[in-house]
Amino acid sequence: MSEGEVHEMKRLLQSAVRPAGETELSRDLWPTMVSRMSRQEVKVPWWDWVLLAGASLALWLFPALVPALLYHL
Amino acid sequence: MNKHPLLRAYLAGIALPTVFLLVVMTGYTVIRYVVNVPIPVERVIVFPMAAVPNAWGLWNLLYQAFGQRRDWSLGLFGGSLPLLLAPGGYLVTRLLNFSVPPEVFHFAPFAVPVAMILYYLAWKYFVGFLNTELGIA
Repeated sequence: MSEGEVHEMKRLLQSAVRPAGETELSRDLWPTMVSRMSRQEVKVPWWDWVLLAGASLALWLFPALVPALLYHL
Repeated sequence: MNKHPLLRAYLAGIALPTVFLLVVMTGYTVIRYVVNVPIPVERVIVFPMAAVPNAWGLWNLLYQAFGQRRDWSLGLFGGSLPLLLAPGGYLVTRLLNFSVPPEVFHFAPFAVPVAMILYYLAWKYFVGFLNTELGIA
């Protein structure tokens, strides 16, 4: 490959590939990640605790319910 | 992660009852062969083994296909599943001539609401968690 062909190839490559420009992050992504992770905490409302307590009480008072429930789970 | 959302919904749905099936099967095996309770449970064991996990998977698939875009509550949607499973389970016992103890019917008015509550909680927290993890919530 002659010197002229090398220059021509270099010119073609430079014209085909866009300059990378700014490669640094514009902002720190970690705080966003932390806030997203904290959003995933499960918050159980009080009425769900009441429902769970009621169901547990029913199973305790009527143990015959347990086999029927296991059959359907 | 945007491929096959219905397949992922099905897999998320069957996960919990499939795991819990180990507990149920262990209990049934102990009752039948260790305690020697003379009830032919193996005749109706097909219902919790096969039908229930598939029903959970298909129910979650239906929720993804129709319920989620209408903003239905996943807990309430899952909590309504016993309304289908209870008659289904009873139908299986009738078809296989399995005699259900009459005491079971006395507790039916309590059993269905309790099942709906437990299903509501299981769907809201466990299936909801799996749906989120699989990117379909």
